[in-house]
Amino acid sequence: MTALTVEARPSRAAGPPRQGRPGAVARQQRRTAYLLLAPCVIVLLALAIFPLIFSGTLSFKVDPLYNPDVARFVGWRNYNDLFEDRRFWNSIELTVIWAVVVVSIQMVLGFFLAVLLDRKMQGAGLLRTLIIIPVFISPIAMGLTWRFIFEPVSGLANWILNTGFGLEKWTWLSHKDTALMTLMLVDCWQWTPFIALILLAGMQSISPEITEAARLDRVRGVTFYTRIVIPLIRPVIMVVILIRLVDSIRIFDLNFIMTKGGPGSSTLMASVYDYTIFEQGHLGLMAAYGFLILILINIVVLAFLNTLYRTEKAARAADQP
Amino acid sequence: MSSVYTRAINILAVLVVVVWLIPVLWVALTSVKPTNVINAPTPTFYSFEPTGEHYVEIFDRFLFDRAILNSLITVGVSTLIVMILALPAAYAVARMGLMGGDTWALVILSLRFMPGVVVVLPYFKMANWFGLIDTQIVLIVVYVAFGLPFAVWILRGFLLDLPKEVEEAARLDGLGWLQIIFRLILPMAAPGIAVTAIFTFVFSWNEYLYALFLTYDKATTMPVALQKTIDLYNVLWGSLSAGAVIQLLPMIAVVFLLQRHIARGLALGAVK
Repeated sequence: MTALTVEARPSRAAGPPRQGRPGAVARQQRRTAYLLLAPCVIVLLALAIFPLIFSGTLSFKVDPLYNPDVARFVGWRNYNDLFEDRRFWNSIELTVIWAVVVVSIQMVLGFFLAVLLDRKMQGAGLLRTLIIIPVFISPIAMGLTWRFIFEPVSGLANWILNTGFGLEKWTWLSHKDTALMTLMLVDCWQWTPFIALILLAGMQSISPEITEAARLDRVRGVTFYTRIVIPLIRPVIMVVILIRLVDSIRIFDLNFIMTKGGPGSSTLMASVYDYTIFEQGHLGLMAAYGFLILILINIVVLAFLNTLYRTEKAARAADQP
Repeated sequence: MSSVYTRAINILAVLVVVVWLIPVLWVALTSVKPTNVINAPTPTFYSFEPTGEHYVEIFDRFLFDRAILNSLITVGVSTLIVMILALPAAYAVARMGLMGGDTWALVILSLRFMPGVVVVLPYFKMANWFGLIDTQIVLIVVYVAFGLPFAVWILRGFLLDLPKEVEEAARLDGLGWLQIIFRLILPMAAPGIAVTAIFTFVFSWNEYLYALFLTYDKATTMPVALQKTIDLYNVLWGSLSAGAVIQLLPMIAVVFLLQRHIARGLALGAVK
């Protein structure tokens, strides 16, 4: 490391870059930049890109976990098997529904939460700190706690419904018609504060002049938010939606720890289904499904960016006189 | 009129936050309840004799001390390595006029979106070859790969916010890049570096999928150890809650430690 410093020095020791050789300085700078970047890139190549390629080749093999000797290439068979598997399509459908529903709910709730917390009362800072706790704590610890809360007979949730509001007890996680909704509830509990906090940061970065001008023009209440706040924080909204969409498609922890796909296959989403394939020992099949999840994520991201680009263009065209 | 309205909204805000945190309070409360109170048909809120038995049990029966140690070692070491690798890389993509600096940053970030199930299988196979299954080393390696992209991205955001003039002046004074990084950037960006390190720590602390695949006994971290309190027929809610509280407390401490930095860190990770 010191050698690098010493080596880098002479060209600059002579003072400011001379007019005559801007190219040399730039080249030197670029070389240093690549040197700084190199360790990180090498590690990522070895630990992320190589495994990805490895996984890709594996997806064309039959490779039983408990009998590795019979491993061999089988071409597209794993992919074909998946495409003919009804449970595979079911899990993909469930994952897409899941992602769209939870992200929509979280965006709406998160926006209201942000508006609610965007005030100058004493202790507002403490509220903002407290509300973010769910984002930072482990989905495993909380998922298990939620299972305790959703216990059909003795759980807190049913006690609140029954004793608190005089309602019928609900089946929560124990019935195939309600399990997915219950899972969505927990996911929204965990991630709505994340969205709220980011939207809040966006709202607070709106310059006071704009807010003041709006006030003078008597733009208030709902109009203030729909006409001024939302258009101004639109870029933030879009990025948050994108991140949450991808993370929702990848969901594993909460799904695995709370229902493991059940009851039946009512909550069997992509990553957990892929895990069950691993448990059965079909490593090639597992790799193939993993790749399909990756492709699904890419499709969603591209579709989203495409829509974004098109609405952006339409908005800009509308702005032209 | 409007002050009544404002006060009503303020109260609503407090109420929402309190209700939101009920599950967290509930796990803390459960952890000190005697087992027969926990398993009673109706929930109890205050009329019970607090007990520490579950905190004893989680250590005695589920070897939670080992899990805590494993978590601290794997997460701590991997966070350190991530920061050492991420800082120069983030500086290079943020500041050095690298051709396509933003492209590099985006490519690195895109790795964050990789689903765990895609890469966990190669990790599993390679760990098997090297005889590293169920060791701390394999988790450290995997957590480096998993934390690095995000760390580079957040750090880059922090570095972009620093004033450029100081560095330019230093460069004109003949300081080399490494000197600039160590003498200028490191002190100036210290808060940002700390926030990034804490975020990296948090992600790995809560990580579950890789730990589930790559460890099963000796090297299990806390999330995996917690899961062992449940089996098919029986759930030891008390032990589970005690373990969960131990696992959650450092993260809650982190939230209070970071306070206003959280929004910036999250926003940088999300937006810039």
